[in-house]
Amino acid sequence: MKFAGYILSIVSFLALPVFALAEDGNGAKRLEELEKRIKILEEKGAAPKAEPAPSPAVPALPSSATGISRVFNPAFSVNGLFLGTYRSEKNKDQTADVKTGLNVQELELQATAYIDTYLRGDIVLSLPTAESIEIEEAIVDFVPMRNLSARAGKFLAAFGKHNQLHTHQFPFIDAPLVSSELFGESLNEKGVGLNWVAPSPWYSEVNFQLLEGENAAALNSRFNDDFGYLLHNKNLWDLNEDTTAELGGSYLYGKNNAETHNATHAVGGNLTVKWKPVRRAIYNTLIWQTEYLAAFKENGIDPVSDVKLYDDRGGVYTSLQYQFARRWWIQGRYDYFGLHAANDANDKQRWSGLLAFVPSEFSAVRLQYNHLDYANSGTLGLKNEHQVLLQLNFTMGSHPAHKY
Amino acid sequence: MPNHIKFSFSSCCRNLFLALAFLFLSISSAFAGLNVATTTEDIASLVKEVGGDHVSVTSIAKGYQDAHYVEAKPSYMLKINRADLLIYIGMELEIGYLPLLIEGGRNPNIRLGQPGLLDLSSSIAPIEVPVGEVDRSMGDVHPYGNPHYPLDPANGPLMAGLIAGRLSLLDPDHAPEYKTNLENFRKRVDAKLKEWSARMERFKGTRIVTYHLLWSYFMKRFGLEYAGVVENKAGIPPSPKHLLELADTMKRQKIKLILTNNYTDPSFSNLLAEKTGATVLVLPGYVDGVPEVRDYIGLFDYLIDKIERALSH
Repeated sequence: MKFAGYILSIVSFLALPVFALAEDGNGAKRLEELEKRIKILEEKGAAPKAEPAPSPAVPALPSSATGISRVFNPAFSVNGLFLGTYRSEKNKDQTADVKTGLNVQELELQATAYIDTYLRGDIVLSLPTAESIEIEEAIVDFVPMRNLSARAGKFLAAFGKHNQLHTHQFPFIDAPLVSSELFGESLNEKGVGLNWVAPSPWYSEVNFQLLEGENAAALNSRFNDDFGYLLHNKNLWDLNEDTTAELGGSYLYGKNNAETHNATHAVGGNLTVKWKPVRRAIYNTLIWQTEYLAAFKENGIDPVSDVKLYDDRGGVYTSLQYQFARRWWIQGRYDYFGLHAANDANDKQRWSGLLAFVPSEFSAVRLQYNHLDYANSGTLGLKNEHQVLLQLNFTMGSHPAHKY
Repeated sequence: MPNHIKFSFSSCCRNLFLALAFLFLSISSAFAGLNVATTTEDIASLVKEVGGDHVSVTSIAKGYQDAHYVEAKPSYMLKINRADLLIYIGMELEIGYLPLLIEGGRNPNIRLGQPGLLDLSSSIAPIEVPVGEVDRSMGDVHPYGNPHYPLDPANGPLMAGLIAGRLSLLDPDHAPEYKTNLENFRKRVDAKLKEWSARMERFKGTRIVTYHLLWSYFMKRFGLEYAGVVENKAGIPPSPKHLLELADTMKRQKIKLILTNNYTDPSFSNLLAEKTGATVLVLPGYVDGVPEVRDYIGLFDYLIDKIERALSH
C-alpha cells in the first residue's frame, strides 16, 4: 500500500510542471493564492514550535585539535566466564570437554556501532579458554526497507533457538548435548542472509541464509563451491500480557565430506513458553523451552553391498527456568541424544540442575550439576559420570540490551 | 493430475490468497491517522492530549510496570515496525530494551536523526546529574541525570510542546489543531498546578523517605525533602546496615512517610515502617498505574490527594 503511495507521489511530482505549463494563465493566480495562505498561516503561527531545549546536561565530547575524537567510537563490552569444574571420572581422558579444574571458559570482546547512514556493524571476538583468539561474529546489517534486513559476515546461523546464543547467554553453563553433537560447538558460518518480518498480526520472521558450509560436523563439503542453504521461521504470540509462546522451525541443506557431494539435511523445531508478570517483572519469571534438532547425512556407499549408507542423528532437550526471587533462579534440564539411529555407542542422556545468584544485570554466579548417562556405558570405555560446574559470568562496558 | 486433487489445490490457493489479502487489508487500513508508539503510558497520555482523534497511540510499558525493566518482546518490535513515530523518555531509562526494539523494528523512519524518533528528555532541565566520575560500583546510575521527569507536572506541557512540534512536522494538515490542543492542555495544567501547589504549600520542607529516586522531580516541585532513600544504590536492594542507619535517622528526625511505587516489593519499606512507626504509601509512578489514574492530570490529582492525606495525619 505504502509502495503504491510512493509511486503515486513520484508520478504526481513529475507531472506537476507539466500541469503548471498547461494551466499557464491560472498557474500564476494559484501561486498567488498559495502565497497568501502561507502568509496567513505564518501570521497565525499555526505550526507550534518545539520548546527551546535547555542546554544538555552532558555535552558531546568535543573533537580535539588532533582529530583524535572518541565521539564515534563503537560501544565496547567485555564478557567473562570463569569456570570451576568437577568430574567424577577425573581427568583420565585428556580430550574430554569436561575436566576437573579451574578455567577461563571464555572471554568475549564486543564492539557495536553504526558504520554510516546505511550499515551497522557488530564484531565479537572470542578468546575461548583465554588462550587463542577467534572471530566469533563479524556482522554487517543493512535495512533496505521496512520489514526486511540483510546481513553479511560471519555469524551464528539462524538454526533453532540455542544456536543463536553466545556462550555467556546460554541458559545453562554448557550447551545442550544435541547442539554440541550435531554441530561441534555451534553452527557458526560465513555467509549472507535476508530476514523478513511477515505482515501478520503476530510476530513472524523468515530467515534465509546462504552459508559457506564449513561446519566440520554437519557440512564441510569436499568441494568449496558447495554452499549451505538455511531457512528459518520464528513465530511469537502474546498469550496475555504476562505470557508469550514462541514456535520456530529450521531447515538446512548442504553437502558433507563423507564422499563426493553427499547431502546433509538438518531440521530443527523449538517451542518456548515464557511467563513474566509485568507487575512484578523484576521478581518472577518462568521459562519452559524445548528444542529438537536432527541431521540426516548421506554417508557414502558400502563397498561390499553397494548400498547407500546414511548417518542420521538427532536429539532433544527440555528445560525449565524459574526466577523465584529478584536475584535467584532455579533451573532444570533434560537432554537426550540418540534419535534416528539404532543403538549407537554415543547415545546418551543427561539430567541437569542449576542454581543461580544474580546480584545485578552485570554479574551472575551459577552452580550446575549434571548426571551424564550413556545408553551403552561400559562399551568403548564410556562410563556414566557426575559433573559439578561453578561459573562466574560478568559483563563490563556498555549496557547490554537483554534479548527476549 | 487427477481432477479432485486439482480442484482442492486451486481452492486451497484461493483460500490462501483471500486470507493473505484480508491480512494485509486489516493491517494497512486499521487507522488513517498517525500511528504513535511510546515507551510509557505518561507519554501516551500526552500524545492523546495533543493529537486528539488524529493519532492512534500505544504504549510499550504498562503503567503498573517498572519502565527500567521491560522485556524486548518481538511483539513490541511489531509496534515500532508499524508506527510513524516512536516517543521515549531517554536519559537511559529504556537502555535495557529500546535499542533491541528499534533494531528489531527495522523501521527506516524510526532511527536516530529521523523525524520518526523523538527523545523527550531534550524538553526538560534534568536534575541529579552525577557530578564527577561515575561507574557501575555506584549501582544503576544514570549518567545523564534522573530520568523520572514526567513526575514534575510542570514538565508535562514542555513534553507536550515537543510532541506537538513533531506531530505537526509529520502531519502538517492538522498542525493548527495540535497547537490548539497544546494550548488547552497548557492552560489546564497551569490552573491545576496552582491548585496542587496551594494544597501542598503547608507541607513545604517536610522530610520524607522514598524507596527509589522515582519521586525527586515531584518532591522538588512541591518542596518535599529527602530524609533518605531505602535503595541506597539505585536498582540494588538495601543492605541491613543501611536500613538500620536509615531507621535511626527516621526516628531522630520523626519521619512519618515512606513513598514507594506499586511495582517494587514493599517488604523493605514495610520493615522500616514497623521499626519507626512511619506510614508506607504505595503509589503509581505512571499514568494507568492504578485504574483510577486515566491521564496525565489525573495522575497528579491522585498523587496529591494521597500524599496530602498521609501527611495530614
